[in-house]
Amino acid sequence: METYTNSKTLTMKTIINFICIFAAAVATAQYAPAPKQSKSILILHATTHLGTGEVIENAAVGFKNGKIELVGDARTIKLSAQAYDQTIDAAGQHLYPGFIAPAIHLGLIEMEAVRATSDYMEVGEINPHIRSLIAFNTESEIIPTVRSNGILIAQPTPQGGAISGTSCVVQLDAWNWEDAAIRSEDGVHLHWPQPYHRSAGGLENNPQYADEKKSLQNFLDKAKAYASGHNETDPRLEAMIPVINGTSNLYIHANSERQIIEAVQFKKSNHIAHMHIVGGNDAAYVTQLLKDENVGVMIPRVHRLPQNAGDEIDAPFTLAQQLHAAGVLFCFQNSGDMEAMNSRNLPFLAGTAVAFGLPYEEAVKGLTLNTAKMLQIDQQYGSIEVGKSATFFLSSGDALDMRTNQLSHAFIDGREITLRNRQSDLYEKYQKKYSEK
Amino acid sequence: MRKLFTCAALLVTFCIQGQPTFPSNGAREKDGVYTALTHATVHVNEVTSLDDATVLIYQGKIVNVGHQIQLPKGTIEVACHDKHIYPSFIDLSSSFGQPAIQVGEWSPFPHMDRDRKGAFGWNDAIHADYAASYHYQYDAQQAKSYIDAGFGAVLSHQKDGIVRGTGALIALHENENIGLLKSQTSAHYSFNKGSSQQDYPSSLMGSIALLRQTYFDAQWYQVDGHHQERNLSLESFIQLQQFPAFFETDDKWNVLRADKIGDEMNVQYIFKGSGNEYQRMDEMKNTKGSFILPLNFPGPMDLIDPLLARQVPLEEMRHWDWAPSNAAQFKSAQIPFVFTADGLEDKSQILKQLQKAAKYGLTEQDVFAAMITRPAQWIKSYDIIGSIEKGKYANLLITTAPLLDHHCQIEYNWVMGQSHEVKKETKNEWWGTYDLSWKNDAPSATEIHLTIEVTDSPKGLTAKWIQDGDTLTNDGTVKTDDARISFQLKPDLKNKKDSTAKAQQTIEAEYITLQKNNGTVDGWILVFQNQDQRNFPITGTFTWVDNSTAHPVSDEAEEWITPHTEMTYPFGAYGRTEIPKQETVWIKNATLWTNEAEGIIQGDLLIQQGKIVQVGKVSAPANAVVIDATGKHVTSGIIDEHSHIALMSVNEHTQSSSAEVEEARVIWPEDIDIYRQLAGGVTAAQLLHGSANAIGGQSALVKLRWGANADAMRIENADGFIKFALGENVKQSNAGDFNSVRFPQTRMGVEQVYYDHFHQAREYGLAWKNYNASIKSKNPLPKPRKDLEMDALLEILEKKRFITCHSYVQSEINMLMHMADSMGLSINTFTHILEGYKVADKMKAHGAAASTFSDWWAYKMEVRDAIPYNGALMHQQGLVVAFNSDDAEMARRLNQEAAKAVKYGHVSEEEAWKFVTLNPAKMLHLDQHMGSLKSGKDADVVIWSNNPLSVYAVAEKTFVDGRCYFDREEDLFLHQEQWNERKLLMDQMQQAIANGDHPQKPSGRKRRHFHCDSDGDLYQFQDVDHENHH
Repeated sequence: METYTNSKTLTMKTIINFICIFAAAVATAQYAPAPKQSKSILILHATTHLGTGEVIENAAVGFKNGKIELVGDARTIKLSAQAYDQTIDAAGQHLYPGFIAPAIHLGLIEMEAVRATSDYMEVGEINPHIRSLIAFNTESEIIPTVRSNGILIAQPTPQGGAISGTSCVVQLDAWNWEDAAIRSEDGVHLHWPQPYHRSAGGLENNPQYADEKKSLQNFLDKAKAYASGHNETDPRLEAMIPVINGTSNLYIHANSERQIIEAVQFKKSNHIAHMHIVGGNDAAYVTQLLKDENVGVMIPRVHRLPQNAGDEIDAPFTLAQQLHAAGVLFCFQNSGDMEAMNSRNLPFLAGTAVAFGLPYEEAVKGLTLNTAKMLQIDQQYGSIEVGKSATFFLSSGDALDMRTNQLSHAFIDGREITLRNRQSDLYEKYQKKYSEK
Repeated sequence: MRKLFTCAALLVTFCIQGQPTFPSNGAREKDGVYTALTHATVHVNEVTSLDDATVLIYQGKIVNVGHQIQLPKGTIEVACHDKHIYPSFIDLSSSFGQPAIQVGEWSPFPHMDRDRKGAFGWNDAIHADYAASYHYQYDAQQAKSYIDAGFGAVLSHQKDGIVRGTGALIALHENENIGLLKSQTSAHYSFNKGSSQQDYPSSLMGSIALLRQTYFDAQWYQVDGHHQERNLSLESFIQLQQFPAFFETDDKWNVLRADKIGDEMNVQYIFKGSGNEYQRMDEMKNTKGSFILPLNFPGPMDLIDPLLARQVPLEEMRHWDWAPSNAAQFKSAQIPFVFTADGLEDKSQILKQLQKAAKYGLTEQDVFAAMITRPAQWIKSYDIIGSIEKGKYANLLITTAPLLDHHCQIEYNWVMGQSHEVKKETKNEWWGTYDLSWKNDAPSATEIHLTIEVTDSPKGLTAKWIQDGDTLTNDGTVKTDDARISFQLKPDLKNKKDSTAKAQQTIEAEYITLQKNNGTVDGWILVFQNQDQRNFPITGTFTWVDNSTAHPVSDEAEEWITPHTEMTYPFGAYGRTEIPKQETVWIKNATLWTNEAEGIIQGDLLIQQGKIVQVGKVSAPANAVVIDATGKHVTSGIIDEHSHIALMSVNEHTQSSSAEVEEARVIWPEDIDIYRQLAGGVTAAQLLHGSANAIGGQSALVKLRWGANADAMRIENADGFIKFALGENVKQSNAGDFNSVRFPQTRMGVEQVYYDHFHQAREYGLAWKNYNASIKSKNPLPKPRKDLEMDALLEILEKKRFITCHSYVQSEINMLMHMADSMGLSINTFTHILEGYKVADKMKAHGAAASTFSDWWAYKMEVRDAIPYNGALMHQQGLVVAFNSDDAEMARRLNQEAAKAVKYGHVSEEEAWKFVTLNPAKMLHLDQHMGSLKSGKDADVVIWSNNPLSVYAVAEKTFVDGRCYFDREEDLFLHQEQWNERKLLMDQMQQAIANGDHPQKPSGRKRRHFHCDSDGDLYQFQDVDHENHH
């Protein structure tokens, strides 16, 4: 049995040592996906945030064959010394389920200004049949920079049009999209029409609103009929079948109160089993409805400006707490400006919500189990519970605070992934340049 | 019974005789007839009025006014009993009779050259040579709308461009040769480039620079420049200076921006206001200017949909409440003003609007002065119009009552002796009882009597037909035109008691048309008789009955009213009724992040008169406000080295150098982002020009003094800075395929832009030096042309202005340092500088500071190698490093960004904190006054709930100059106040709508949040929250 000791205190020196040892290998390996975990591993003494809202201050977490098989209090649990091939002493560290970045075009774009790298927006209004999975670029240089802040799972999501396409759920350390897929087609994304219209003529009701809603309803009616039987294949309608059958989600992107209300009514009247709101700026005004209809909210980027000049200046920061207090299922997401590269800041969105009243473990839930529930991957992911995938990470400090977020180990399905990335390599390269002077 | 005024209707009116130079086809027309308006109350001027007086008119002019005037033989006398006579109104903001403005076709390609050819100036927005009189053509339709509104003369100019040439004084007479009273009366300016399709200026600050440069060019041209080039635009501009100067503005702040130019050029503008000046009366007063105020007060907004209401800014709702009081505020501030109908959709509403404005504190005398006297005086034409005096033009209004009386109607408007009937028969003129009789032509026929009562109803006028005491119909249809009333009456026979044949005969009559003649009526009735239809004459009387109940009009003098809401600074959400006071504040038991040698210590802080007076162990004076900061952290305020908030525009992107433009002239002090950033602990910022060109504009260094005006936000005695930029934005890599024309398109070209401009600036400096040295000699050199662009560049060479350069990749960073070295300069700060880590040693040697993003990358090619360790690496190499925002959102949590220097590269917390405080202060040369907690420095202080680098830290109080501009508790109060006020205003607006005010839509205007590469205006009409690329 061997024990890692260098993870206890992650100093500058240890990082450099680590880098020096592996630099050459890594540079050529291009951060190759980690091989299957051959060992059973026990993580001891970490403050373990289960993702369920609970925390174990001094935990023992053991996993084998990619699955968690032990979660307990290290002070009371009885273990035989031979039970695990390897033990990580994580005293002073925090263990979290892998954070999940939903509703994002991570892996679908590399460089915003370079059109050739952009694969997240198709032309056309109704595109449920386009699938993000097959465009998901496991070689994206952005992904390792996101992973190294604790985000281990993502939901690459297409954008544009009224129905943008079908998203997927992937883990972020894979050779190709087949390896990456957790759910190949997890849901269809619909953008609710804008009820209001601004022009030089003034602010008014959108004159096309009713028509736009009607065309969505017509499409759904067709899809329902199609799902009950058809002679010819229609790829668009075909793509809606899992939504209608309730095997995958409908994600409705909606922000204003009126959009949210009508989106939920749409769900209700069409008997959609699983629908969640992406956005939900005004979700705090309609919590009862959301709760009653089991609609979750992937709240808009916490780090944003309030919608109107007169809004509470902290409105974006307090939304999560308001939803939590009202018992609405919510999770954090990061869509918006510089979405892909900025997704590494997802944990800090949750941190800011904590600063404005959200209980800490609820914030963790908003990055893990709540998200997993909405994505329907909570049977395997989203929390540190026996039987679930060993997808979690250790941070030497509080991972929701940029001041202390420092990962020492991260595991996806038990595989220990590299925390290096192109940026840490460049850092190393130039540190070397200056040290050699 | 309502009196009918008919005397003037009988008049034959004469115009002034035709102009002598024109040949006459037929006998020459003459106008030798005197007209006397008698028995009127004549309002001679704003202070004098004569009862029962006479105005004698001959050949379009007033020849006598007063009592007991001997009327010459053959005078047409118009008795005006109970009438009032005023001089006709004068409008100083008109484009009456000017041709339609031709706008050239827009093209997506850069449009750097002028379209107008000839010996004119370089810029198509300067129309100095435009003479409104040369383009003037009488427009009958426009004239009618002015005349009906009571205007006799207007100052007309073409509202197009920044310099608009001269205006002409025009009386509303159909003959241009007669109506054109003065061909060159005034000079006109604005900040709006108008129809010009030329790129420059693309921003407000560009417009300002262009206008200033034009003044300087004219000065140069007058003295010496005309030897070097012929420039008709400048020649005309020089001529403009002799006239009263009018400056059209579209916002209160633009008044101040224009006034600043006026002060510089020794011109006192008369401002055409936009109607929101009341929001800043002290500043308006300080301009020492006079104002033309619009009367287009906003209507109430129908905000019954609360979801829509939420999107309407408070200031827009308040503007409805306050706008009609604008003129009254000018009166109490003793600022001279006049009114204009400009902007009123329906000019005939002008009396109503004047009466509305007057309710807030104007007397008839004030309105008289504002509509008649002052407009004439301001254009130096009081000798010919503006009062009812001998020798002046007979521009006269005949009204039914004094101007501010609710009953006042303009009945006639005489323009140059020509009478125009204004009074229109309105709906209520037809209210009343028509007693009618008619007789058919049968020998035995008897006269038949019927009565029709016309009343108002929601669907319009309706008629009730009564005959022999029976009501035969209640809802007959009524149609009216200018002169006649027509009925269609469908009798209900069941109601007819008498069924004799005689009665039957009349019952079949369905159509009646009548004409009123002073109490009597006559017309025709259509009768069906034996399947034949015939018209018979019908006559009778008309008795007017006031049946109005909807809007009772009161004759009683009303109390002056005030707006429902309080004035706050700024005028909108989170404004305060007054600026917070400088108090003595004792903050005790805090963790103090001093940024000084002491480091992070436990202790107290004393603030007095806006300064930090003691740090550490402090004994508090008796009068101090005590803040117990146990468990809290206290720091100096965050300074954002790279910000684009609080600006009207960011880029003047049209030329590769725009060194002449100044952000300080386009500060927008009402930006809510100021308040939001105070809530994030930000106290000062550099408001930078964008990165669209190699040499950008001059920065504004401000403190976030929420509620202050633009000048008061600026940091006193701060050094001047200027933005430079390198890379993709400058070479327009991401600006689309059309933008591949402007030099430079490569990094190679960028370098040469600098060399070229600095060489020019050096030569420019030398020219001035030589000139100044020669002044006292016998043969002084010609004075060089003052060039605002070169001035700014010369300041850089003379180390009076410092460069902040937007930069990304190492090659260009290196290049700029070489360029600077060769000019004997150093680059003060590289901003963004995402590859600074690659050349940190060179930057250190050069002496540049680095202001970067914590972790941005991957948004364009040149940031592919950007790394979040950049700050740490540069710090390790000894550079002064800052993290900036370039983003209104990020700026309100720059403390979190600083923490990323700890995360990425393990910078110590104490040093990381300096990345957003002391280090930017150093870069901006402000560290003598800001950036640390030190006795004697400005009290720009933040109290944090936690370690300020922590994501859990919240700014609880933010002081700027010792004034508490943000307080989390007060914030809740301000927010609540605002919602109370919105509720109040929504209620008031609903009530106004119920009372018949015409509702209007919310403007739909939405402000933008700027970044480095943002072009264009602050406001837009779309929901776009994010602007990509930086």
